[in-house]
Amino acid sequence: MNTAMNDSNEVLIDCQSVWKIFGGRAQAAVKAITERGLSKTQVLQDFDCVVGVSDASLQVRRGEIFCIMGLSGSGKSTLIRLLNRLIEPSLGKITVKGKEIARLNATELRDMRARNIGMVFQSVALLPHRTVLENAAFGLEAQGVAKEERHRIARAALEKVGLADWTSRYPRELSGGMQQRVGLARAIAADPEIILMDEPFSALDPLIRRQLQDEFRQLTKSLGKSAVFITHDLEEAIRIGDRIAIMKDGVIVQVGTAEEIVTKPADDYVSDFVAGISRIHLVKAHSVMRPVAEFRNSQPNCDVNALLRASPEADIGELIDLTTQSDRDAVAVVENGTVVGVVTIRGLLRGVAGKPAG
Amino acid sequence: MDISVITDTFDAWTDTTLGWISDNGEWLFEFIRSVLEGTYDGVLWLLQLAPFYVIAIIAALLGWRLINALSGVLAGLALVFCAVMGLWTETMSTLALVITATILALFVGIPIGIVAGFVRSFDRFLEPVLDLIQTLPPYIYLLPAIALLGYGPATALIATFIVAMPPAIRLTSLGIRMTPLEFIELGQASGLTTWQMFIKIRLPFAIPSVMAGINQSLMMAFGMVVIAGIVGSGGLGETIYSAVRTLDIATSINAAIAIVILTMVLDRLTQSAARRASGEAR
Ligand SMILES: Nc1ncnc2c1ncn2[C@@H]1O[C@H](COP(=O)(O)OP(=O)(O)OP(=O)(O)O)[C@@H](O)[C@H]1O
Ligand SMILES: [Mg+2]
Repeated sequence: MNTAMNDSNEVLIDCQSVWKIFGGRAQAAVKAITERGLSKTQVLQDFDCVVGVSDASLQVRRGEIFCIMGLSGSGKSTLIRLLNRLIEPSLGKITVKGKEIARLNATELRDMRARNIGMVFQSVALLPHRTVLENAAFGLEAQGVAKEERHRIARAALEKVGLADWTSRYPRELSGGMQQRVGLARAIAADPEIILMDEPFSALDPLIRRQLQDEFRQLTKSLGKSAVFITHDLEEAIRIGDRIAIMKDGVIVQVGTAEEIVTKPADDYVSDFVAGISRIHLVKAHSVMRPVAEFRNSQPNCDVNALLRASPEADIGELIDLTTQSDRDAVAVVENGTVVGVVTIRGLLRGVAGKPAG
Repeated sequence: MDISVITDTFDAWTDTTLGWISDNGEWLFEFIRSVLEGTYDGVLWLLQLAPFYVIAIIAALLGWRLINALSGVLAGLALVFCAVMGLWTETMSTLALVITATILALFVGIPIGIVAGFVRSFDRFLEPVLDLIQTLPPYIYLLPAIALLGYGPATALIATFIVAMPPAIRLTSLGIRMTPLEFIELGQASGLTTWQMFIKIRLPFAIPSVMAGINQSLMMAFGMVVIAGIVGSGGLGETIYSAVRTLDIATSINAAIAIVILTMVLDRLTQSAARRASGEAR
């Protein structure tokens, strides 16, 4: 585990051109799409099949939190279900930990699901005839962990999500948000390497939600786990995701870091998504700075070396702070001791407004 | 005429066939008969072990725990009333008959129902068979039974067993098939084995339906009680049958009241038990 953790580029989940088409004539539809390039609506009309996921490729690396965003019906749940083979792809290849999961036999698949890939469901799926504690211990029970041990671990997991006092209650006695937290505790207790989460925080109030987002991110990072995290909420994706994939009608339209997605949206759909997002903590100095020579040309009497300094990774919030402390209207961006660019007030404003540096 | 020749031939053929079956299968029917009557005698012995007021108190306690205090008192009093009418022994024989037939029906019906719940084609095959069993008048089942097993409780038991089995099969199969998809997915995603999936996920969700099946089986069995009186079942059914034949209306009405009481008490108790089981699952 420790040696593997160092190799942060190891790809844990690899999806290559994966399709999922629902309906009786799925195979014929796949053929038509690959040969004639039919669109989602055409497939629905001609074959009466729904395209759930269309030509999706993605890699999740070890230690990474990979977010999937998209409107309702864009295929997020379908995609995440393909990753642990709850549904079979119509076309394409999915590899988890170097093994092609379509080739695993029943025992190998069971083993991989019990030990390596955990899942938190959009529908929560708490067993109604079991107490909160027994529900939280369910994954460990499937692994064959002895009762006392699994209850101890489950209790600790429930404590982490703030439900220590509810262990002997039944799910029906809990609110929707509390039930979601039990679902989360169940996944944490099973301690998988990869955790698939389908909108795990959607029913939580903003306060607990934030707290759990931070806790989840910190926990995942400190244990070196990887996660695929579905959300409707871009703020959430930005807060916890290392990289974000945006889906539309089954297609992954863009994959990138929060900053990449916000500053360089691939199309209008993504732009609409990111329109309302505050850039203050997202946009970094390196994407709003001007080249030093250009700055010198426009303001020949300003000494670049006398400006306050910031690193290329400083976000707009920090740059604003620096600018307001200084008596000049610009901040120098310094990397390895040399000035690589200058951020002007104009640049800051463009950054906040979501426009490229200029 | 032509027709009567045909029917006569058919009758003769039926007689020989039944004769052949009972001659050659005598050991088998003897065996079935002794198992049935043995179980029946055992249950009856248990029920007669305690005096009537103990049984009444047990019913009252169950009623109190499962429903409420008032229902408990009523159940106890109703059973005492059966004893006051002088029909206690007959009431207990009827109860033994119904319980034995229902237990046998569950013993066979629940496993069949479980298999049907998993194997769709088997379920589709069973459907018309169960429909047929339930549409035919229950008298029908007395005929082959009396030919093969003779006059007595064994025949009554077999006929009651056949009538009580369909609801157990149907509702068990339904319960197994009704597991919500999200929980099947939970089981798969957690890496459960087929057996764990059955025990930990499917069965708990099926229990309310199975319990409803048990209640319905019991009620079907009660429906057969009076009919089974014709073949010498003993108990209240036979009391009614012989009282009607001798025009002893008062006795037949008393026996009918006792049957109604017994049916109602058991229906209420098992229904509440079923509701309790489903209450825990929801
Ligand atoms: N089992 C299925 N059979 C047929 N069509 C399906 C099935 N599951 C999903 N779909 C279709 O696939 C598409 C994507 O659904 P999916 O559940 O993946 O969306 P989603 O992005 O998770 O949406 P939401 O945010 O509402 O959960 C939808 O058009 C849906 O109708
Ligand atoms: Mg979804």
